[in-house]
Amino acid sequence: MAKGPLVLPVFLVLAAAAMAVMLLVALSTRLSPLPYSQVQPNGYKLRRWWFVILSVGLVAIFAVTLPWFPYPPLRAAAHAAKNDTLYVKITAQQYGFTMPSVLPLDRRIVFEVTSLDVNHGFGIYDPRGQIVAQVQAMPDYVNHLPVTFTRAGRYTVRCLEYCGIGHASMQGGFDVR
Amino acid sequence: MTSARRVLWIYLLTGIAVFTLMMLLGIAMRAEQARWVAFGPQIFYAMLTLHGGGMITSVALCGMGGLWYLMRREGELSARAALAAYALVVLGVVAVLLSVFPGGFAAGWTFLYPLPFVGATWASWATGTFLIGIMLVSLGWTAWCFQILAFTLTRYGGWGGASGWNLVFKRDAEPHAVPPPQSIAAFVVAVDGILTGMAGMTIGTALIAHWLSPSVLIDPLWAKNVTFFFGHAFANLTIYMALGWVYVGMARYTGREYHTTKILAIAWWATLIFVAVAYFHHLYMDFVQYRPLQYVGEIASYLSAIPATAVSVWGSMLLVYRSRMRWTLGSIFLFTGLIGWVVGGIGALLDASIPLNFDLHNTLWVPAHFHTYLLGGVFLFALGLIYMQLEERSGRCSPPLLRWVVGLTTFGGMAVFLLGFYVAGANGVPRRYALEPSPGPLTASWATVGALLLLLGLLVVLIEAIRLARLPAENPA
Ligand code: HEM
Ligand SMILES: [Cu+2]
Repeated sequence: MAKGPLVLPVFLVLAAAAMAVMLLVALSTRLSPLPYSQVQPNGYKLRRWWFVILSVGLVAIFAVTLPWFPYPPLRAAAHAAKNDTLYVKITAQQYGFTMPSVLPLDRRIVFEVTSLDVNHGFGIYDPRGQIVAQVQAMPDYVNHLPVTFTRAGRYTVRCLEYCGIGHASMQGGFDVR
Repeated sequence: MTSARRVLWIYLLTGIAVFTLMMLLGIAMRAEQARWVAFGPQIFYAMLTLHGGGMITSVALCGMGGLWYLMRREGELSARAALAAYALVVLGVVAVLLSVFPGGFAAGWTFLYPLPFVGATWASWATGTFLIGIMLVSLGWTAWCFQILAFTLTRYGGWGGASGWNLVFKRDAEPHAVPPPQSIAAFVVAVDGILTGMAGMTIGTALIAHWLSPSVLIDPLWAKNVTFFFGHAFANLTIYMALGWVYVGMARYTGREYHTTKILAIAWWATLIFVAVAYFHHLYMDFVQYRPLQYVGEIASYLSAIPATAVSVWGSMLLVYRSRMRWTLGSIFLFTGLIGWVVGGIGALLDASIPLNFDLHNTLWVPAHFHTYLLGGVFLFALGLIYMQLEERSGRCSPPLLRWVVGLTTFGGMAVFLLGFYVAGANGVPRRYALEPSPGPLTASWATVGALLLLLGLLVVLIEAIRLARLPAENPA
């Protein structure tokens, strides 16, 4: 569920590849120079490929990953259809959360998250300490965050939006069983 | 020194002075997170507020001076108007400075409504002074943008000429009327910049109204949108401003010519739009935000990689490839700045993917990627511009040994500093925590060591710059 640790190796590989290419370009200045009129046409041809690959690739990634977007269904009817859903109210306030202390395992939960004062973040960390879900807690608005916990244990909740001097101490937790 | 150069150096030196101060605050914050020192949250968050706003403004000042100077070489521009804009920005910086020290304002440089007013540990005057400071910076910035926009419009024959439209769609565009690449960049920055400045003044006015009369209520979601539009675009434009002299510098150091092509013009139009709408990614975790805007945010963030890599970076790489590149500190800074921009961009693309953002939003991954392209990109571009000027004036450059020393300390320190953010962010350590959960303190201590090494490297860069500046001028301008 937590994708954070996966992101780092992906980033490092892509960053290393980009750096390698650019450093090779820099090193090419040690070779005998070529006239620009020779470099440019080939470079532009290659660029056409890069343009196509990048545009198609990026749009494809957007489309393919749509099912993993964390948003709740838009229509309330779709919500209600999942009749086994447990609705849980979360209220954030400088510098703490009001929430239940125990939540069920393997059941669809929709957190209804709001704030009584400033913007806060409702960030859920699993028992191993990885973020598994988050949403903003805003005054005047209620954000719906659907989550199903598949791992039992103690979850920590941390504030993930800067909310004032006590921000770093704003945490809570619940047991999932 | 001509008055044009004087304007350039006033901007640059102020930018570097502000940068230096903010860098010391940055190191202090990282040391606090490493638990080497303990200022306490009140001071930590005051420093965070000042560092965020101050740093962006410092690179913006370098960008404004640099791009203004490039435009000045293309035609008549009033130095007075540039200095008036400068004075407004500096007044704003002073107001923000006073609001934070001694005022204690610590609602963050993003000052999300209603935080400046709720649970404040600072006096009300500090809030007001901060907001007035933001207004002044926005005003100075907008004034600068209007000057640049007016210049490109008169110099290149109206909107069609300045934007590159005539070049793309009209066969008979006169060659002398086609703006060089840096002028296309200036046009786009000015247009987006005016929108940005307006947004800054809008949110500033709204918050000042609330400050004067608390019965004036503001919609928190609206405030978030306007604030992030302002903050995102302002920060983003510092990169695009710098590209102006990256184009010029790369051409000069490689001895090759870089012209405006149709593709370049179209790429900048795309950038114009992406800068304005990518900010929606700051609201990904606001599930009440109108849903299509989330999609627009992801697509715009993704696609901004196209003009960046396929045009600006690609074009620069082609200039360098098998050229007679002169590798001086100036060209090294410009080139490594491009690397930092691309690497930070990769971090940004990952974060801009909504399923990943669910796990990365407001973790240290965010400062990780933006420090990569702001510190490892824009700031290096600024150093590149400064060294380019110094090398050109003195006709000299720095000895190879010195280049190695600077390279190892500056880039090595930077890499270690940045990796600390990335590793912690991927492991869910939140950003803006004075006291971080594990593994925050560990990664913060590596990062502090890296930042100190960087400081050392920049000290060498400074001393070498002073040495070059004191050499007799070979090409006085
Ligand atoms: C010179 C070395 C630098 C150091 C040591 C440094 C250090 C830091 C630290 C420790 C943070 C707080 C991270 C967190 O816990 O959220 C931070 C935030 C930030 N930094 Fe830097 N930084 C440096 C350079 C820069 C540069 C060059 C820029 C921009 C041009 C910049 C812009 C920012 C911004 C916008 C923030 C976010 C403030 C906020 O969260 O409100 N920094 N920096
Ligand atoms: Cu908080």
